[in-house]
Amino acid sequence: MLYTNEKLVLLAGFTVRLLLSIGFSGLQSSLDNSVEFSTPFTSFKSLQEGIFLLNNGFPLYSGGVVHQSPLLVYFIAFFNSNLAISVLYALIDSIIAYQLLAISKCFRNFQSKSTWYIALLYLFNPLVLLSNISRSSILFSNVAISTALLYSLKGNYLITGVSIAISGYLSLYPLLLVIPLLGILRSNTSRINLLSTVVVTLAILLAVSFNTSGNNWDFIKLNYIALLNFEKLSPNLGLWWYFFIEMFDVFIPFYHSVFNLFVVSFVTPFTIRFYKQPLYAFILSIGWITLTKPYPTLGDCGFFLGFIPFFSPIFGYMKYSAFTTLLFLHAMVLSPIFYHLWVDLGSANSNFFYAISLVYALAIASLIVDLIWAMLRMEYDKGKPDFKSKLTQL
Amino acid sequence: MSILENLQRRLIDAGLLPKFLAALPKLSMLLVSVSVMLMLYLPMDGQFRRTYISENALMPSQAYSYFRETEWNILRGYRKEIEVLSSHSSIERNAIMSSWLEEFGLKTSVYKNQEYGDSLYGVFNAPRGDGTESMVLAVPWYNAEDEFNVSGAALGVSLARFLSRWPVWSKNIIVVFSENPREALRSWVEAYHTSLDLTGGSIEAAVVLDYPGVSDYFEYIEVHYNGYNGVLPNLDLVNIAISIAEHEGLKVSLHGLTPDEMGNGDYWSRLKMISLGTKNLALTGVREVYGNEAFSGWRIQALTLKARGDTNHDVTTFGRVAEAMFRSINNLLEKFHQSFFFYFLLAPRYFVSIGSYLPAAVVLSISFAVASIDSFVNNQYVSMVDSSYYNLLSFIFWAVSVIVCFFLGNSFTYYPQPLLLLLGNVVISTIPLAAPKNLSISEPLAYRLKTISFMYLSLVMTSLLVVNFPLAFGMGLFAYPMTLVMLNNTDNLRLKTRNSILLAISNPFIAFWLFITIVESKLDGIEAIYGLVDAWNKLGSWTWFIFCIGWFPSWILVAISALKVEQVQTEPNSKKHL
Repeated sequence: MLYTNEKLVLLAGFTVRLLLSIGFSGLQSSLDNSVEFSTPFTSFKSLQEGIFLLNNGFPLYSGGVVHQSPLLVYFIAFFNSNLAISVLYALIDSIIAYQLLAISKCFRNFQSKSTWYIALLYLFNPLVLLSNISRSSILFSNVAISTALLYSLKGNYLITGVSIAISGYLSLYPLLLVIPLLGILRSNTSRINLLSTVVVTLAILLAVSFNTSGNNWDFIKLNYIALLNFEKLSPNLGLWWYFFIEMFDVFIPFYHSVFNLFVVSFVTPFTIRFYKQPLYAFILSIGWITLTKPYPTLGDCGFFLGFIPFFSPIFGYMKYSAFTTLLFLHAMVLSPIFYHLWVDLGSANSNFFYAISLVYALAIASLIVDLIWAMLRMEYDKGKPDFKSKLTQL
Repeated sequence: MSILENLQRRLIDAGLLPKFLAALPKLSMLLVSVSVMLMLYLPMDGQFRRTYISENALMPSQAYSYFRETEWNILRGYRKEIEVLSSHSSIERNAIMSSWLEEFGLKTSVYKNQEYGDSLYGVFNAPRGDGTESMVLAVPWYNAEDEFNVSGAALGVSLARFLSRWPVWSKNIIVVFSENPREALRSWVEAYHTSLDLTGGSIEAAVVLDYPGVSDYFEYIEVHYNGYNGVLPNLDLVNIAISIAEHEGLKVSLHGLTPDEMGNGDYWSRLKMISLGTKNLALTGVREVYGNEAFSGWRIQALTLKARGDTNHDVTTFGRVAEAMFRSINNLLEKFHQSFFFYFLLAPRYFVSIGSYLPAAVVLSISFAVASIDSFVNNQYVSMVDSSYYNLLSFIFWAVSVIVCFFLGNSFTYYPQPLLLLLGNVVISTIPLAAPKNLSISEPLAYRLKTISFMYLSLVMTSLLVVNFPLAFGMGLFAYPMTLVMLNNTDNLRLKTRNSILLAISNPFIAFWLFITIVESKLDGIEAIYGLVDAWNKLGSWTWFIFCIGWFPSWILVAISALKVEQVQTEPNSKKHL
């Protein structure tokens, strides 16, 4: 059950989103045009393009513009008014916040008291808020991830499997989160069940998509292959684009595989190392994917930051949270400025913006590293926090 | 890592860390002086470079310029006609001018703007090339000093006639006659990129002509290149203007000085040029607006050529400078992309690039960060946990003050009341002195307010320093006194007076007023604040809002922290944990 103040926070988050998207109608398009909140794979503009093509009976994927899953386009096309879409987006974010609260209730540390601040920190995180207003489609993937996490903690492999398969279907990389989810489920039968649910759900989703898009496999090429191959070479906050701007063609496939390998590489190690704290392994994996995916937005980052309050018992161990905060702040403030200098004024160049995306990556990385340190310290202290003693000189 | 740990152990053994922390206020002061020294160091030999044309395609003055005696009479004819026009309304003026332009084949159109004044413009389509790019020749009817731009307009029309008879152009030529170089031209540029029907492709460069009076002769050329929000034209454009003018035997002056005032190129004259450059760029929109500013923000390289004096060089020489510049720009195959977009000119032929001067502002920004760390570390409340009540409260204070300042700045753009603003800020500055005895603030909160205020200011400066270096540098310098405000825990009169004075001189509006009153003899301080608001409303200059939401909130927080403080007993790590 929710406490009153928790309900209030959810309601406030919902209302603020609705008011912002109705009251400031220009905000949506300007955010959707900003490089921080929108990528070719998540922008609402391309979703609308898809809806337009759909309504006029054109094939969705022949133009090479739409990189969104066919079923998502169908789903959004179903809401034909602007207000309905605003309500949908606001609702989904509130659901995520609700699920974060529900997740917190699964833990002894948070059980007995109101955890309104978890919902507050998620709903009123400017990154999440603005990403929501921009109507980035990453939201649908995010809600599927949080659903999967919640139900895996409850031991329900069916919903977990279905939702993680949906999030993988929507944006591919979250499929990797199956690995930490396997760590959360404690019995081998439920693990096998989870895996088979994921496979079956994915098969069904792909089959339905195949069918609805006119018996055509193009959507695989445009949604997944294009993602893996980084085919839309556009600047974003990620680490990928700069490398592929000027590279000899022969090397490109090799580096695509290296970068993809990079995304995959740390998920399993996190799961194995933090086998006893599977929730943390899951969160770290989200952070890792946010850091290394080809088309990240600030919405991804906001979603990851929403899980940070779960680490509150070990905040005392974190060594450079001030440093990380400042990195985040500077990255957020400087990235639009440097992008403006580069693209609008033409008085700077791509190096400026890439430097800032490196700062941003450093911020996420230092947060992950700091969290890992804190967890290892906790393990060393055998679960009894001892913030006083120093183990290293630095 | 082990080397680092070793080093750290040594440092701790020597007890350097506490000493270092205790020296933070001194370090902050040291950094400010380093920053000023760096700026003073720039004009020294070896710190600056000679300008060069980095885009080889430009080839300034490589072609012979033909705007000579043959055009002299045509020019004078137009001038005679235009002299009469000064008494006509702008609609009549534009109609007559447009009939002239149409005579030699330009397509013309008038951009109507009730509020800011109409602008007439004509497009000459390039005989060669695909017509996707253009060059602008802009002539405001009235110039920066509000004189009727007679010869400028005559040059504009006779140059348009002259240029349109040549087959060499690969970029369209757009001639613009706007009512004034301020909002009229600015609104035309904006309309050109948003709503106008008759256009000539993307504007690559713009030259604004400013030649008031009817004299046949002029003495030297002034080049103005500062844009709004710290935008400068590509250095190559300034270089070709200077190189062409000097090729024609003209003297070039910068920043509105006479050639004599420019000095003999020694250290002091270079220092004078860099300080004027910094000041003028920071104050664009508040001082005279010459016209080239209007083009900033649209990827257009623009500068103003202004004729001064009435001896020596005949008026066609001025036309030849514009002609040769157009020939040069016409040669470009790509956008201006080489060379520098951020620079200071120390003399027409000497410059320092951003790499050399940026450290000055970076160091200044760091000094605020150091001050912030100092007010965090050097008191007994350092061990408070991050999520403690006072930290949260100070954060809320900050958020509220930013929002309040935002709305204040916004409402000012509708109802500017500079005098009220100044008086209000003077009153707030006296708070440390005049506040009632029972009004006090808890000590940890005061420290945290200072921490967050300086950190915010440092962040603002960091984000500003690449975009608008002069503003960031100036702001940093004038806001610095607020880091010297000390907490009032002894209630001693001397301390309180000191705090009041420091607050008063570091207030954005009072400091701005003082600065204008002392440095800009032509401007009135109060008028200049109107000018700031106006520049935001009409010209798209951000300075007003940067003052309001970048500088003012920090100042308010420091002013609050200067109230009488009350000590609070805090147990480390336990007090009011969230």
